[in-house]
Amino acid sequence: MIKPILGLAAAAFALGLADSAAAEPSGTLTVYTSQPSEQMQSVIEAFNKDYPDVQVELFRSGTTEVMNKLLAEFAAGSSPADVVLIADAVAMTQLKNDDRLMTYDDAPIADIPDALIDPDHTFFGTKLITTGIVYNTNLVDEAPTSWADLKAEDVASKTTMPSPLYSGAAVIHVGTMVQQPEFGWDYYEALADNGAIAGQGNGSVIEAVARGEKAYGIMIEYMAFNAKKKGSPVEFVFPQEGVTAISQPVAILKSTDNAEAAKAFVDWQLSRKAQEQSVAQGYFPIFDDVTPPEGYPKVGSLKILPTDAETLLENDQANKENFAELFGG
Amino acid sequence: MRLFERHFLLVLVALYLAAFALWPLGQLFAEALAPNKDGVLFGTFFDQWESRSAIRALSHTLEASFLSTLVSVVIGAVAATLLVLTDMRWKGAIVFMLLLPLLIPSQIMALAWIELTGPTSPILAPLGLAPEPGTTNPLYSKWGIVVVMGVEHAALVFLTVRAALSSLPMDIVEAARLAGAKPLRIVTRILMPLAFPSVLSGAALAFVASIGNFGVPALLGIPGRYTMLTTLIYQRLQGFGPQVLGQVAALAVILTLIAAAGLLLRSLIARRFGAAIERSSSPLVPFPLGRTRLPIEGAFLAFLAVIAILPLFALVGTSLLPALGVPLSLETLTLENYRFVLFGYEAAQRAFINSFALALSAAMISAAVALPLAYLSVIERRPLARLLDLFADAPYAIPGTVLAIAIIVVFLPPLPGLGVSLYNTGWIILVAYLARFLALVLRPTVAAMKSLDPGMDEAARAAGAGMLTRLKSVLAPLLAPTLAAGGLLIFMQAFNELTVSALLWSSGWETLGVMVFFLHREGNTTAAAALATLALIAALGLAGIAALFARRLPSGVVPWRG
Repeated sequence: MIKPILGLAAAAFALGLADSAAAEPSGTLTVYTSQPSEQMQSVIEAFNKDYPDVQVELFRSGTTEVMNKLLAEFAAGSSPADVVLIADAVAMTQLKNDDRLMTYDDAPIADIPDALIDPDHTFFGTKLITTGIVYNTNLVDEAPTSWADLKAEDVASKTTMPSPLYSGAAVIHVGTMVQQPEFGWDYYEALADNGAIAGQGNGSVIEAVARGEKAYGIMIEYMAFNAKKKGSPVEFVFPQEGVTAISQPVAILKSTDNAEAAKAFVDWQLSRKAQEQSVAQGYFPIFDDVTPPEGYPKVGSLKILPTDAETLLENDQANKENFAELFGG
Repeated sequence: MRLFERHFLLVLVALYLAAFALWPLGQLFAEALAPNKDGVLFGTFFDQWESRSAIRALSHTLEASFLSTLVSVVIGAVAATLLVLTDMRWKGAIVFMLLLPLLIPSQIMALAWIELTGPTSPILAPLGLAPEPGTTNPLYSKWGIVVVMGVEHAALVFLTVRAALSSLPMDIVEAARLAGAKPLRIVTRILMPLAFPSVLSGAALAFVASIGNFGVPALLGIPGRYTMLTTLIYQRLQGFGPQVLGQVAALAVILTLIAAAGLLLRSLIARRFGAAIERSSSPLVPFPLGRTRLPIEGAFLAFLAVIAILPLFALVGTSLLPALGVPLSLETLTLENYRFVLFGYEAAQRAFINSFALALSAAMISAAVALPLAYLSVIERRPLARLLDLFADAPYAIPGTVLAIAIIVVFLPPLPGLGVSLYNTGWIILVAYLARFLALVLRPTVAAMKSLDPGMDEAARAAGAGMLTRLKSVLAPLLAPTLAAGGLLIFMQAFNELTVSALLWSSGWETLGVMVFFLHREGNTTAAAALATLALIAALGLAGIAALFARRLPSGVVPWRG
């Protein structure tokens, strides 16, 4: 009850100081994100060690919902969001095409592979998240090794996956899979015909597989590894045909009322400290010289399925509709 | 000055109700019944009938609510019959177990049931009774919704039927006995038909509560792909944002129409059969169950324990697990989830503070408004106040989802003259709570005001006390217990509220109900279970306090919606 008022006061204070420039970033920073709240909590704690005067407010939901909330708020006039940190570059490209993102040329991007950065410097990848196969070790004797393994009747009927209607990672995963000649929509038809189902986000997949309601799941790797670390009976597989990947980009909204703090947040997200923290949280690092979490293959050894982002954005709606047609809303 | 004082209060109360209830509901109907894009009259409304998902959600809503009402009727009516008409023991325990699901917010009850019936159930798995590993939780289905909602609303039928049965006169039974009728025949042929209208009336309440329920269909129906109207509204609004406000307003109106039909049916029943029984004779003496007493007691208590207590044990069990899928044992048991939601997770702490502040404000402001409104309508008998008194029930009677949409329709755009929008702030939740819960304190206050001796007010008036003085020094002290009890009722309901806040919360303004819902959806179910357990302990603690106040509350104000 008191926090928002304090935040307002802090923001007003910050505005007063803005003229004197070069002051430490302060005030309220509103971050819209799809990263699990538990993780964001430690991200904010670490960020506040470096920037103690910035009060970070959080809105967290699936990428699709975050995007819809943003679009709705734009339609209503303005959004309280300053920074967006969501799962995939496609959603970011959409925001960029709508001219909602701020160009940030001074972002510290020296150590980050070019592939993960928007050439116009409006958004920047912060980590690598791959989608592969999770299975319940109590229920599965022979681990699957490939995407093709999931199509088998007795496997597909025990398989669940996230829906692109909820998850940004699933948007990219489905979009990328259907672009591959060896998979295409045939692959999903086979899965659906043999009884695979789609849940909501990745959370619903790890829940079903860890509980033993489903034996196999298609999902992002870190949630599976984290559950395994806590003791859930699950194991993760990087399929031999290759994984799909998203880069969890961060961006500043043009309409931000606290650009200083927003830039500080982006700087911090792209720093070595943040990379080390995200490794601790189970993410692949994007810096070459940061070691990936235990049990993960070297980033260089990963086979990542190629994807054409423009086509993906173009077909986004159609992909969602096709998917919903096969697996239901 | 006197004149100003009299009108000032009335105008203030009228503005309050107009702004928080009448305006939003009126706007909602206007929005829902507006012409569509092509300018067709009532187009927005009728477009919904062309949407397959809306029709499906409507038929699911009717089907699941009807079936769950049957479940409620069977449990509630049997319980009331056993309790009132037989010499069964442990009646206190039975009443407690029946009322428990009503005291617990429905999303927490649904979560508890999920924990109980899944393949890794901490209760069923050790007994070898859990579903086969590799199978989906059977509750993610129509039947899951029917059972959980049926159990939750059984208390509504129970309370109504119990009240009717206990007011049956002994004379009838005596007369039947003299005519040679056996107890079983008396019960089935005489008492049951007399109680039948109350069963129907309780069923109507359970039905209305079911169609407005959000927590159960959200937790069981969304994964089970069984969409009901409340969840469809939620999904549309979450998925597409306020641009679909007209559409969801139309859905909300459909929901309101069904609820109104249910409530109308109930008042018709009450009017038709209400005054049939002469109530002056001595109350019923229970029939002895004889040798069947112990088996019946045992079976019924065991049944109630399974539906009311076991799910809660399962919930607590899951809250003690380090991760999903780990079997519960002394070695695996951990308090980490509690540490996390209490100290490790700012949003959860914030949810406690927000829910507490919102519930407390809603309770205190509502009590402060109920006093003058009840005074103006009961003692001064001002026509406008009596009209407002009638309207004050509407926001509580309609489904919470509908109210939330109505509040969004009005308070999303910037307020006229002020230029700021309440949307995305905590104020919009408070406004919705103020609209929704006023009836909970107004009803008992009106009842208590009616039973007051009007002489006291007249004496004070004759002595020259103005209205404000009379309210403050004469009426407020007399009515304080009633106001406090009503306020407590509001606090209890608002503290764990989900249906309204699910559509109105924003960053920094999470409520407890929303937090449990979201943790569960993120796959962090062990933490959701811990938070739900804490909220449950708070709810039961408050229920204990409420029980102390219960005698102060006139009958008929029991909360029948979670």
